[in-house]
Amino acid sequence: MRMGMLKILVAGASALALTLAVAGSASAADKPLYGALMKTLANPFWGAMEKGVDAGAQEVGVDLFMQAVESDQAAEPQLNTCNTMLEKKPAVMITAAISSTNLLPCLKRANELKIPVVDLDGNLDPAITKKAGVDVAFHIGSDNQAAGGKAADYLASVLGKDAKGSVLVIEGLSGNITGAKRAHGFADELKTAAPGLAIVASLPGDWDSLKAANITNDTLQRYPDLAAIFCANDDMALGAVEAARSAGKDKLVVIGVDGNVNAVKSINAGRLNASVAQLPYLVGMQAVETAKKVLAGEKVAEFTYVPTLVLTKAALDAKSDPLLQYVK
Amino acid sequence: MSVVSSQPARSRNWRERVLGNAAFRFESLLVLATLTAVMAFLSPVFFSVSNLLNIVLSTSVFGVLAIGMTFVICSAGIDLSVGSIVGFSGVVGALTSANLGLPWPACIVGCLAAGAFAGWVNGFLVTRAEIPPFIATLGMLGVARGVALVLSNGVSIYGLPPEVVYLGQGRPFGVPAPVIVLLGAAVVAHVLLIHTRFGVYAQVIGDNEAAARAMGVRVERHKVMLYALSGLLAGLAGLLFAARINSGEPTAGLNYELTAITATIIGGTNLFGGRGSVIGTIIGALIMGVLQNGLNLLAVQPFYQQIAIGAVLILAVWLDRINSREGWRR
Repeated sequence: MRMGMLKILVAGASALALTLAVAGSASAADKPLYGALMKTLANPFWGAMEKGVDAGAQEVGVDLFMQAVESDQAAEPQLNTCNTMLEKKPAVMITAAISSTNLLPCLKRANELKIPVVDLDGNLDPAITKKAGVDVAFHIGSDNQAAGGKAADYLASVLGKDAKGSVLVIEGLSGNITGAKRAHGFADELKTAAPGLAIVASLPGDWDSLKAANITNDTLQRYPDLAAIFCANDDMALGAVEAARSAGKDKLVVIGVDGNVNAVKSINAGRLNASVAQLPYLVGMQAVETAKKVLAGEKVAEFTYVPTLVLTKAALDAKSDPLLQYVK
Repeated sequence: MSVVSSQPARSRNWRERVLGNAAFRFESLLVLATLTAVMAFLSPVFFSVSNLLNIVLSTSVFGVLAIGMTFVICSAGIDLSVGSIVGFSGVVGALTSANLGLPWPACIVGCLAAGAFAGWVNGFLVTRAEIPPFIATLGMLGVARGVALVLSNGVSIYGLPPEVVYLGQGRPFGVPAPVIVLLGAAVVAHVLLIHTRFGVYAQVIGDNEAAARAMGVRVERHKVMLYALSGLLAGLAGLLFAARINSGEPTAGLNYELTAITATIIGGTNLFGGRGSVIGTIIGALIMGVLQNGLNLLAVQPFYQQIAIGAVLILAVWLDRINSREGWRR
């Protein structure tokens, strides 16, 4: 009878060992090891970033140890994963921190171990890292302020410089710096690009497509003649465009940010008007390339902004922009 | 294998005297040892002092939660609010120093008091308002998280007093401070559960509430204390969390209640009350810590990690079922 229990245990252990032996295949030991700590892979943006990091590692010829956590809210698990990664003694730590503070103890320890730290996608706040005594080799990412600005310029080009009307802005998670920068960039640029367009509401959609759809519906109740919606990411823009369509507002201009797979599909299908593509693939790739330069002792800029690209149906059909190859 | 006798701790040998009669589930130790062996075999980095300390460090926050959960669950209750209380108490603690400018002890007291208060409210709702624990604490899960977001405006509050940060980041004698806090809390809780009336009553209530009442146990008052204790420990976990990252994060501890319940159940505490073990809970927490650490070292995708943890939970309880069929009472 005791045997029954032992059998299950042994079977479980061997199943685990076998699975792990297959899943965590060993890598060649002679190449330098780069550590990359992502937020989550359960999101097309981070999926593309992951592919870019992978491609960059292959290009510069290094081994990659990449990990992510289960969700982009898992701040402490990410810190634990970061500490675990340090046990592997990577040559460099490329990290996309979930918040501006959650990885700091680990990054400080990386500093002590003389492992350079890279801020992937600009999640660290230089003011806080300086206060915490963490030395960041370089920050790389997209200029979110400029991305918002590009969306405003696009809107002005579609509706005309002298267009009049009301505009809804759906922000990201309240308090999140990325979403705030995009929303501010959009609002600032709109003032000069099309002064007749007034932002009637700027509400947090928490990166959530359903929430964005609800906000769109609610706002349309009050402003049935809404001219445009700017959303701080594509997921929300997709929610907004579907809500606008089902309310019969086919002329409403909806713009998102990120350029993710689903947004490209929606643009191709003639639903979403535009998305300011952040090219996460290119960000990931350049992060690895720049990290190699740092390790070789070259001097690199503290901030690298990877260009953004306005995706529209026309741009996607023309296929002329060389940056389009990085839209994944 | 552990034999649970129904007699009180009139112990015969040292083992029973120290560990008590409600000894932990031996199978969970076997699972832990097996997992450790598998991981050590697969990753050369795994079995180093620094990595082993790293595992316990990763376990510290939800380990402390699981200790509190052990008390609540063995009294046939449940506390779903502990994850939210981690965020809530961390924000309150951070506010006392960052916004109110109070000295560092206020930060610690703030965290613990906020947690204990939320726990006390849970206990009040369960006993006085007679709301089932699942629902009362589910409500608190929402309320505490919401209050944390309101108090902090949804932004993390960076910068705690250095003394507090030491609790999360310091390494006295090379051992991470949260590890010491976790082990300290575990020892105190173990003694409390096994060797004091407080703990024994908790298990009696879980086993048979009517009998406990007939025995003269003041069940309502006792339950309030159990939920307050769980809240207090959640406040301690919130303090550790905030100290580890030097900031009070309103989203801290999201879904940790499930991790804490899993660790408690893997450790052999009966979900329907009557039997609980702090040692078992710590082993359960370590099993999850080892699993996560090992899978991270092997660069296994986090999606698979969730599958593995779920499978271990099922395996542990399955082993327990086989055992009880063999005549293990309760």
